[in-house]
Amino acid sequence: MVRRSQNHKLTLAVAVLMCVFVSIDGVSLNDLLERVSQLSDKLHSLSTSLTNDLDSHFPPYGGRLMRPSMCHTASLQIPNDKDQALRLPENELLSLARSLLLAWSDPLAMLSSEANTLPHPERNAINSKTRQLQDQTNSLGAGLERLVHKMGTSSEVLSSLPFNSNDLGHDKISRLVNFHFLLSCFRRDSHKIDSFLKVLRCRTSKMQPDMC
Amino acid sequence: ATMWTDSVMLAGLTLTAIFVSHTAGVSAPGRPRLTGCRSPEKETFTCWWEPGDDGGLPTTYALYYHLEGSETVYECPDYRTAGKNSCFFSKNNTSLWVNYNISVVATNAMGSSVSEPVDVDVVYIVQPNTPEDVRVLVVDDDPGPYLHVSWEKPLAADTQSGWITLVYQLRVKETSQDTWEEYNAGMQKGYNIFSLLSGREYAVQVRCKPDHGFWSEWTSPAYVQIPDYMLREHSMWIIVAVFAGFLLFVLTWTVNVKRSSVKHCLLPPVPGPKIRGFDPHLLKSGRSEEMFSALVTQHFPPTSSYDDLLVEYLEVYDVEKQELVLGVKNEDPLAPTRTSDNDSGRGSCDSRTLLTERYAEDGDKGGADRQLGQCVAELASPPLEEEKVEAWSTPFSPPPLHLQRQQVGGARAAYHSVLEIPCDSPCAPGSYGHQGESDISKPGGRGASTTLAEPQAQSAEYVEVQTVDHENVLLLRPLADPGGPDVDYAGEDYSKIRDVIPDNVLLLQREPSAWPCAADPGQDRGERSCPTALQELMQPCKPPGPLQQGLRLVANGYVDASAMLC
Repeated sequence: MVRRSQNHKLTLAVAVLMCVFVSIDGVSLNDLLERVSQLSDKLHSLSTSLTNDLDSHFPPYGGRLMRPSMCHTASLQIPNDKDQALRLPENELLSLARSLLLAWSDPLAMLSSEANTLPHPERNAINSKTRQLQDQTNSLGAGLERLVHKMGTSSEVLSSLPFNSNDLGHDKISRLVNFHFLLSCFRRDSHKIDSFLKVLRCRTSKMQPDMC
Repeated sequence: ATMWTDSVMLAGLTLTAIFVSHTAGVSAPGRPRLTGCRSPEKETFTCWWEPGDDGGLPTTYALYYHLEGSETVYECPDYRTAGKNSCFFSKNNTSLWVNYNISVVATNAMGSSVSEPVDVDVVYIVQPNTPEDVRVLVVDDDPGPYLHVSWEKPLAADTQSGWITLVYQLRVKETSQDTWEEYNAGMQKGYNIFSLLSGREYAVQVRCKPDHGFWSEWTSPAYVQIPDYMLREHSMWIIVAVFAGFLLFVLTWTVNVKRSSVKHCLLPPVPGPKIRGFDPHLLKSGRSEEMFSALVTQHFPPTSSYDDLLVEYLEVYDVEKQELVLGVKNEDPLAPTRTSDNDSGRGSCDSRTLLTERYAEDGDKGGADRQLGQCVAELASPPLEEEKVEAWSTPFSPPPLHLQRQQVGGARAAYHSVLEIPCDSPCAPGSYGHQGESDISKPGGRGASTTLAEPQAQSAEYVEVQTVDHENVLLLRPLADPGGPDVDYAGEDYSKIRDVIPDNVLLLQREPSAWPCAADPGQDRGERSCPTALQELMQPCKPPGPLQQGLRLVANGYVDASAMLC
């Protein structure tokens, strides 16, 4: 009898400790998903704002005529519509998001270094926002890593999306044009990431019914 | 040369055709313009354009697009679903995260024109439909009712899968007002609005927006009436007001009842005059004696040593012209009867001044009478004299006299100091004695004759009042009537002034009736060693020696004390 009670007590203590550890471990899955969704949302909003700053003095039509045809992340196979996107499993969604995000770490670094000397009237705002963009991208990357661990998905090999350009160009026009083009590519890719993560948010977590 | 001529001819024909067409009013259509494209759910989208000038000819419009990175041009699959001048891209035709290059071509018989191309990425043009099923509910609550607004997501939006994330916004306005109040509801589908005015009608509208997109249109307003909930608060205030009114009424009634004391407190009455020792309540009781006795003080009116100066004068006037002024001395307060007075020795300054000499004026009137030397003393104003006599008899002022009176005993006659008996005819006592009787106004009495001193000499002679007849005539007789059988001194005692004590006290000496002879009348005012005055009086108007001014010689040895006092 005494031993049983002791066993009971021991079990109870272990259970309590485990609960504590779980709680100490940190953010729950729901909260983590919510957090990464919010981060991606902010990221896209920032890129949109940066694009607007560029377009305020940059004739969009003229720039389009001269820009390169494809973003460096175009080779990544992504769903084109909702049906395709909803068919993807969570890990693929997450993998896509992570791949895209990873593909932009180098270009964003280059954009940050170039934004300083960009021949644009809104250079200061553009410069600060570009730096924020870089920081938020890194944060999101870290969050996605934790999410991967949280979700327990198998660590899939991320697609490699190399970025080969070292700079934006040498002349003023080409630098502006390339900057604008890269930013537009990032804006789209950030939208993709945000969309995928929000789908992921509503699918895997037990969110409140009125949210999803 | 042929080619040249052909081209020239072609150009000429073209120009002619253009010219002709212009003159005819028809032309190629103007350029259409794409006004916008929208995707309500991030699955389909629609583009609209506005046509340009049609050039007077029926014009058709076609929309062409090609995807970014592809050269394949596609035409709009659906011109009808979205209405006129629109192109609807179904799900199959919609690709996300790719640019659509869209342009519209207008074509008529004369030609065609192409619009400006537009690049569209579907994920950037998301504008959801309006929220569905907006309901407004009035909920009763403690301080007051509030509005609970609820709605549903737009029909096509797929928020369930998370494909589209919508945030909502609502606005409220009183129907009579112009300004809206906006509220952000987030991703929830219900909202509570508080602090709305009672009895008013409100309109509520809701709209939504995707996470990265455009706001939807507002829903059509939902109207709601806030009930009158102030009644509950009013009833409490009504109770409070009634209670306060009741308190006010009670207060006013109390003040009204006690208004005299309140008035006394606020406006203290001015104290009225008071007489010390006077109790007005005695007036009410009606006993005046007590009241007046309180008023009467022991030492009022103030009296002093000069009380004996108070003299009441009895004015005696001559019947015809002569005026006789007799001073009635009011010196005997305690002698109620006339007969007991023997204060003929007293006099006063004032009495002197009252003497008037009238005889000098009268001249020779009544010469016969004068010659007779009869002066009849008459009382001038009978009633007054009576009073005065009475007064003299019953003196009003009670204070004691300093003079020590020694009853000489039985001086019954009332003596009046004759202050002045002006008479312009020498008086012959003897003639008086005999002939005066006939002239005496009063037949009955003895002739009152007076021995008059010289008119100029304002000397006083004392006369004795015999009686007062019914006409208020004093019948006088001189005290020193030599020949008069009616002079009757029997039983009369006269006081002789023995001495004068410093404080104006006359010491009277009782003397036998026979006056001794006065050696010198003017020797001493104060003393008479011998009654020379009497003898002088007995002698007919013989002016006694040197007439001393200021010395009042009086018959019978009496000294006018007033001279001494003067």
